[in-house]
Parts: sequence; structure tokens; C-alpha cells
Amino acid sequence: MKRYLLLILLLTSMFILSGCWDNKDINHRVMPVVLGVTQQDENYEVYLQIPQPAGGQIESIVVSGTGKTVNEIIDHISANMERSVDLLHVKVIVVDRELAEKGVKDLISGFIRSRDISSKALFAVIDQDLSTFFGAMSSEPKAEGTILLDFFEKSAGWDPQIALTRIWEVYRSIYSYTNDVAVPLMKLGKTTLVEHTGSAVIKNGVMMGDISANKTLLYNAFNGESTLGKIEVLDDASVMILGEKMKFKSKLEEDIPVFSLFLKLKVTILETINDPSENEIKKELEKLLTERYQSLFEQMKESESDILGIGQYFRREIPRDQLKEWRSVYFPELKVDFNIEIDIQNTGNLKIRKG
Amino acid sequence: MNSFIGKIKDAFQGNDDFFCKKQIICGESVFVIGLDSLVELDKTLGELKEYKVIEEIEQHGEELADIETAEASLLEGKLLLARTNKDLAISLVPAPVSLNRSIESSSNENVVLGSPISFNEDIKLNIGLVRKNMKSQHLKVKTYEMGKQYKKEIALLYNQEMVHSELLSKIQDQIAKFMNQAELECIQDAYKMLGLKKWSFVTQINTTEIPDEALRAIGKGRVVLFIDRLSLALILPGVLRDMIFLYNDHNYPYPLMLSVRLLRIMGILLALIIPGLYVALVAVNPEVLRIEIALSVAQSREGVPYPAIIEILIMLLILELILEASIRLPSSIGPTITMVGGIILGQAVVEAKLVSNLLIIILAAATIANSTIVGFQNSISIRIFKYLIVFLASLYGILGILVGLFIICTYLASIETFGIPYLYFNLNKGEKSSG
Amino acid sequence: MDKSWQIVVMYILTHLGLLFFLYPANIIESSSEAQWIPIVIGVILHFVIVLIYLKGLSYFKNKNIIDIYSSFGKLWTILLLIPTGLYLLMINIIMVRAYSEIINIIFLTKTPLWAVMLLILSISCYLSMQELSAIFKTGFLLSFLFLPLVLFVIAISFQNVDWRYVIPIWSSDFSFIKKQSYLNSYFAIGGGFLFLGFIQPVLSFRNTRILIGLAAIVPAYLLSVYVPVLTFGQATAETFIFPYVAAVDGINISWLMFDRITMFFLLCLITFIMLFIALVLWKTVRITKYYIPILSEKWAAIGLAFFIYCICLRIPNWSDAERLFQINTPLRFYVILFVPLSIFGLGLWKKRKEGVNG
Repeated sequence: MKRYLLLILLLTSMFILSGCWDNKDINHRVMPVVLGVTQQDENYEVYLQIPQPAGGQIESIVVSGTGKTVNEIIDHISANMERSVDLLHVKVIVVDRELAEKGVKDLISGFIRSRDISSKALFAVIDQDLSTFFGAMSSEPKAEGTILLDFFEKSAGWDPQIALTRIWEVYRSIYSYTNDVAVPLMKLGKTTLVEHTGSAVIKNGVMMGDISANKTLLYNAFNGESTLGKIEVLDDASVMILGEKMKFKSKLEEDIPVFSLFLKLKVTILETINDPSENEIKKELEKLLTERYQSLFEQMKESESDILGIGQYFRREIPRDQLKEWRSVYFPELKVDFNIEIDIQNTGNLKIRKG
Repeated sequence: MNSFIGKIKDAFQGNDDFFCKKQIICGESVFVIGLDSLVELDKTLGELKEYKVIEEIEQHGEELADIETAEASLLEGKLLLARTNKDLAISLVPAPVSLNRSIESSSNENVVLGSPISFNEDIKLNIGLVRKNMKSQHLKVKTYEMGKQYKKEIALLYNQEMVHSELLSKIQDQIAKFMNQAELECIQDAYKMLGLKKWSFVTQINTTEIPDEALRAIGKGRVVLFIDRLSLALILPGVLRDMIFLYNDHNYPYPLMLSVRLLRIMGILLALIIPGLYVALVAVNPEVLRIEIALSVAQSREGVPYPAIIEILIMLLILELILEASIRLPSSIGPTITMVGGIILGQAVVEAKLVSNLLIIILAAATIANSTIVGFQNSISIRIFKYLIVFLASLYGILGILVGLFIICTYLASIETFGIPYLYFNLNKGEKSSG
Repeated sequence: MDKSWQIVVMYILTHLGLLFFLYPANIIESSSEAQWIPIVIGVILHFVIVLIYLKGLSYFKNKNIIDIYSSFGKLWTILLLIPTGLYLLMINIIMVRAYSEIINIIFLTKTPLWAVMLLILSISCYLSMQELSAIFKTGFLLSFLFLPLVLFVIAISFQNVDWRYVIPIWSSDFSFIKKQSYLNSYFAIGGGFLFLGFIQPVLSFRNTRILIGLAAIVPAYLLSVYVPVLTFGQATAETFIFPYVAAVDGINISWLMFDRITMFFLLCLITFIMLFIALVLWKTVRITKYYIPILSEKWAAIGLAFFIYCICLRIPNWSDAERLFQINTPLRFYVILFVPLSIFGLGLWKKRKEGVNG
């Protein structure tokens, strides 16, 4: 009898208690996928793109609000909506260029601190007014909830020339002595929904400049992201990358860092113009890539932001307390050797002129 | 008519199947006494009449002087022969009325490979089935007469070489203590007899219909208990491995056996976790789901009027009802339940937006997984444990699920039957390691 | 009864639970480079102490430390058993409080603390009320269920690692030894091994097998610190309260149907912690029972759990919980150094005496 009573007591208390606290059914939560933040004067303005099931289909709506902090705005939006806003599923965070140039340190730290937003969320900069950008998003008829996410998804719309940077990496760049990051830079496209225009260079949480999409490809290749399937267009041919191998060497010569880069690319030929020879194509590709790398390094040195993490390669040579000055003292002095080797793995169905 | 016969007649007054007839056998006039529901009289008399002198018959029987033993032997189905001039009777084993099934294939446990024959109500036959398969002088059979009012024969079978002496002596002590205390009719009585806890959520006495399984248990050092008129072998003690391992698995090639057993372990885990996981993911921790799944779950739950915990409890209840109903119904009407249940679960509930269609998938998966568990009684244990996890999940989400598993592990670890822990995996003599 | 493997598993599980939450932050905070040096110092100390403890215990066949101390007179029990009991009680309070706060920070943000603490404590109490062998069997069963998952997550936590952060490998800066955060890191090192002295004669073990358990846990010490350091770099890792958790959060597996596998990993570790709390509670009950013999063990466990719950409710915030770690430091070093040493010393003494007599 005592046991029965105990059992009944336990069960009833469970019934009473369940339905408190963190319990809110999934269909009573709104789960924004994209969070856009911009700053106006002292206030933040937040946009949320929310996929919503409607009549068997998923539509997306955009809501926005202004306030002192992001969480305050979310609270406000939550109070005004019929369901509560839950940032747990935010996959992409975008800011406009203005805010990025002002610095996103507090914003990113806040996201990392609260743990609501997964630290795997992607970070991107919009080269445009956010209200126009999100306005177009919501009016897009085919904009299924996850459209912007799919743009970055490796199994879906991702492309080797889009930088993939997650907010924990941005957070790392705030404190790191050597690692800066490149984040994708986007705006509304003319025919496609979004257009990828290159990457924003972020150093210590502040946007320092931008690099083109082509250079982002080099950035990705350098970081070991696969560049397979990327098509390079030359003056007399276009080729597709089939494989790549990269090696580095670093040394310090009288306090000047010297960095050598060995890149081996395997390509296949897709189209040719005016019947070039194998060697001509190789040479042209080598030249193209070297120039591109050189200008990337020039640009990095100029803004003193080390998005490739070159400083990491000098950890052995430079003691840790001096590594703090890597970006300002050593990096601008950096000498780089490029050794690029091209291998034409095959030429497709047709033969090509040797020599 | 002598006083002995008179007393017996008094004792069986009101029993219309009682007979006491005067017959001439071997030229002597005797009374034959018995119960015609148990004794085939004509056949027996025919056999008796083949004898020349009555003393020869008396040699076959047992002399009974007191009235109590006479009554008891009558109830056992024996025939009494009383000479009119003597004050004692002789009990004979007559040709019995056949009240047993013949050996049939098992109906509650399926055997894929191996012999499908099953135990029967007759304890002698059951012991015989074991003896026939285990031709060893180490196999010992101890029989006891139990019961306060209704006598019942029980038998303990064990392998003298393999059995835990501690286990055996504890069981024998318990039986000796219980002897004439109460009736022994069902397995719950067996729990009482063996002094096991009444409030046990797992079976501490494993049961089987298949002689092979009982044999294996004896070979592994366990004790098998037969109760007359119960067509099951009770294997002592029940342990966790009974849920997963079946002796018949050894008829598969070794790797296949391993994978089948792995499948059952997964079945147990899935049956335990999945319903709780649904509640946890839908109500408490939706961030664990991928966004695509989260959206489709949200969509499928659109318009469901109550919280996930109530939703799942309603559906689980219906499911349990269907399971129970399909046992109750005669097999000719059984399919109706399947059909009605199928319609309810498959279509109507979802279309009426009473539950989400994901839940139907979850429940179906859990039920299927539950059916992989060996032994129906074990699968009920898992069915009950599942609710603990569902409740905890509704309170604490995923933490609740893991905590629920923790509690179940603790519970299983705390059970001991005759000094042998429930989590025992190696039952060999002397070695007491467990795992 | 030789139950070495159960004990080894228990040893590994409880240490895994202790290691991955607070230990990395303590180490990273105490030394800015070459973190392996403080880790290895801690591990060596751990090894030495456990070896001394085991050796000392082996002089007393099938006796637990309560029997040992009481056989040498009242003074020993007052000098060592009471501080040990106090230390265990404090560990329990700290663990329950700190880990419910961790659960609160990391996942159940809106669930009130009292509910989480109630859950942890009531279940640990339930386990500690069972027999000792049941506690170890539970550990064994849990290891089957949860250890594969934990090992999987540990294996994939290398996803975002940049090996160049290992450099510089050597540092001659040994100032970490004096830092409070380094001393706090001994919480993970010194809390777990005392149970070896309590379990005999119910469970016996072979010393060599225990050493396997000791060795098996060493990589976990290094991983728990180095995975966050290699992922974020020291400067960033320092800013986290739970660096390993943050590092695991960054893992992205596109083929898994679940998004945040950290959740499962952390919760598995929480169950290991509950196992640990149950074990510590059991030890505390043993000591209480020694001083108050009339108390039944079940009621002692319930009473202690209730007492711990009340104390935990009175600790208002995380920084107070952290201060408890600090207050606990002297007692911790007293217990983890003097209990093994005294057992060893008493063992030697007993052996010599027996040698003279016989």
C-alpha cells in the first residue's frame, strides 16, 4: 500500500512538473535560421528570417526589431509573436558592412557566451542595406526557409570560392595573435537570389577590407578546404582542378620571416582557344596563380591581417610573447616564395599538342 | 461391507464419479474403488482378470491401512482393491483416462532452427523430455509434494557437476520451509515459495516452453523447476542475459549469432529510448535536431492540441491496449484488431490532427524493437521501463533519458536472486565474476 | 572475489567525468604555454600517490581504511578519518552544486537549479543505498552504454585542431605551481582514487590491473586540455569557463542526424559524475556509520543527501561555488597526501612488528 502511494505521488508530481521550465513544444517555437544584425546610432537592429510551415509547405517570413542589445530585441519580438522565438537553430548570422567595419567583437562574444546560438553558425557580411536584403528574401517566392543556409551547405550550394567561417573562428580571431579570418561577402543578385562578391577580411573582430572571390579560392586551398571541381579560366583554355597538394616551409632570417609555399595542382582541360600546347597552358596557369597569391599577400600585408594564419608557421621560431606583435612587426616584412607546379592529369576525350 | 469401505464412501460422498463396485476377480469377491474420471475401469478389469490368483495382484499393489492415504491415492488416480473379508485395501495403478496433450510444438515461443517441441502439463513427461536429451548421470531430479490443501508435485532438476551449491541449497531450504504453507498454482506462487520479492519489475524466474532452453540452463549450472500441470520450465535464477541470448542462436554460424544478438541489444535500447527521445527532442531540446528535421517535425505537429508528453502517452496507451487485446481475442477474430488498430494508428489519428505522423513512426519502431526481446515476460519489463524514461525526458530532456537509463542500470544491478546478481553473465561453477 | 575490471572501469568513468569540465580551464589559466608540463606533474603525483596507497593497502589483506585506522587506535581515526569524511562531504557538496550549475549553463537554462540538484542527488542517493557491488555493476553497465559515445566524441573532437598550436613545446616558467587555479586542478586528480581503500573486503582487486586503469586515463588528461588549446589557441581558450565543451561545440558532422552531439557527450559525462557522487556518498556513509553505529545505512545515506541538498541550496552563485574549491584546497592536499602516506607507514610498521614477533 505504501508503495502504491509513493508511486502515485511520484507520478502526479511528474505530471505537475512536466510542462514547466524548458518545456515548449517544437511547434510553439519559432526557429529563425538567419539572424541579421545592423547598428543604427547606438541601437542594434535585428532581422530574423523564420521558416514557417504553412499548408504543407515551408514558407519563410522576416521579422525585425530595434533595441539596445540583441537579446532585448529577441525578447521583444518574442512577446509580439504568437510563439516564442528560439535562437537555438540559427545557422547563419549576417551583419552589414557598416557594422562589420565598426567591429563585431561584443556581438560575437555575446553569441558565444549565451550558448543559445550554436558556435557552428556561419558568419557573413552583407555588402548592402540589410532591410533591402531581407526584404528581397521574404518576397522571394521560392525562398524555402533554409535558402541562405543551403547556399553554404557543403552538400548543397557551396562552392570552393566561398569562405566558410563559423562564429567560433571569428571569436578565435578576436583573441588570437596570428589567426584572422575571411568571411563571405554577399549582396542581392540580379538573377540569382544572392550574389557572392568575395570575402571580408576580419581582424580582431573588425572588418579590414575585402578580397575577391578568386583570392578566396586561394584562401580555402590554403586552409585545406577542397578546391576540387573548381574551374579556372585562362586566356587560351579553361581547366578544372582535380587535385591539389600544398607544403610549406618557414624560417626566420635576421628577424625577417621567410615563407615558402609549394603548390602542386592536378587539372583537366575543359576547353581550349586557338589550340595551345600543354606547356603553354601549364605556364599560363602557374603565372596566373602566382600573381594571384602575390597580390593576396600584398593585400594582407597592407591591412596587417593574417587570414592565412602564416604566423602559426613561425611559432617555432618566434617566442610566444613576441608572437603577439606578429601582425604589426613581422608580418609586413614577410617574404614569400611561390613554387607552383601544374600537372595536367588528362586532356579529356581529345588529344592536345605536346611541347 | 466392512468399515474401511464405509469410511471411504463417506469421504467421497457427493462425488458422482466415485464408484465402489463388487466384482469377482480370480474367484474372489472384491470391491473395486476409484474415480471414473481418472480410471478407465473396463480396461483395468480386463487386465486384472487375466491373473490367476489374487495374491499375484496384491504383489503389484501397495497395502493401505489408514483412510487418509487411501483417499490421497484415490485422488492421484489409483484404483483400490478391497477384499470383503479384510480391513485393508490395495492400491493399484490402473489404466488411466488420458487427460494429457500429446507432445506438441510450442505455441508461445517460436523456434526458427532446432526442435520446436514444447513442454506439457504432465510433470513426468517434462522430466522425461529433459532426461531424454541429457543422458548424464550428473542430472539429478528431486521431487517434492507441495501445497496446503491441494497437493502438487514439483521437481527440481540440476546438473550436479555444474550447479552452484549455494544456489541449490538456498532453493532447497526455501522449498522445505514452504512445504505445506500455501498453495502452489502459478508463477506468482512460485515467487512466494522461493521467497523472492513481490515487487520485482523484471522476471527473477525465467520461463521457457522449449526443452532445449531448459537443458542449456541446466548445463550452465542453473536449476530448473517443474510444477505439475504448468507447461513451463521455470529457470532459476532469471538473469539479464535471458533477454538477449537464446540457446537456439547457437544453431546459426558464429558471426550470424553475434549479429543477431547485437540486434536484440539494439532492440532493447531502441525500445527504451525512442519514445523518450521523441518527447525530449520535441519539447525540451529541439536544438539537437538538424534544422531540416526540426522544421518537418514542427510541421507535422502543427495543430496538435496538447503537449508532446500527453500525445505520446495517449498513443502508447492505445498501443498497449491493442497488444493486450490481440492476446485476449480468439485467433479467428484477432485480425480484426490488427485491422482496426492499423486504421487508427496509420491514418485516422494523423488526419484528425490528434497526433503528429512522426509519432506514429516512433511508436511503430519502438513496438517492433520491443518484439525482438527474448521472452514475452521480459518484453513487458522493457515496456514498463520505457515509461520511466518518457516521464523523465518530459522533465529534463535528454538529461532525463540518460538519467532514466542510469536508474534502470542501478535497478538491474541491485537485484539479486539467491545470491546471484541479475547482471550475471557467466554462470559457471566457482567463478563468481559478473559483467 | 576479484573484481579488478569493474574497479578499473569505475576508475576510468569517474575520472572522465571529473576531467572534461573544470580541469582544462584550470590548467589553461595557470600556464600560458607548454601545458603538458603542469599536466604531467599532476599525473606523476597522482601515480606516485596511488602507488603508495596501493602498496600500503596491500600490507593489510582484505581490510578497508576504516578497519586499519581503528585497529591502530583512536588517535589515527581522529587525525585522518574525520578529515577524510569532511573532505568527502565537501567534495559532494561542491560536485552537486558545480555540476548542476554546469547543466544550467550548458543546456537546461530555464530549469530551476533546485530541480536539477534534486535529480542528481536523489538518483545518486538511490544508487549509494544499494550494495557496494551494485554500484560497481552499475558502472560497468553504464560503460557499455555510454563509453562508446564518449570515445566517439573524443575522437572527432580533433576535427578543428591546428597542430601548430602545440609549439612552443618547452617552457621554463614554473610559476603555475603557486597559482590557485593550478591547485584547483588537483580536484580532478585527487578526488577519485580514495575509494580503493574503502571497497575491501567486499571487492578485491589486483594492483597491476588498477595500474592499467591509471595508465588508460592519462591520455584523457592531455586531451581535455590540448583539444581546446589546439582548436582555439591558448589566448582564446583562456576566455572559456569550459574550454573542452566549447571545442566540442565547434564540431560539425554533416552525416549525423543530430546537430549538437556535444549534448550527448556532456550528458554522458554527467551520468559518470552521478556515479562518482554516489560512490563518494557511499564512502561518507561508511565513515558516518563508523562513528554512529546505530544508524542504518539507508537512513544515513538519505540524511546525508538531504544535508548536502540543504547546503547546496544555500550557495547562491557560481563564484561562491568556485570559492568553495579554494577553501577546499588545504583539506584536499592534507587528505590526498596523508591518507596514502599514513596507510603506507602503518603498513610498514605492522610488517616490521610482525617480522620481529614471528
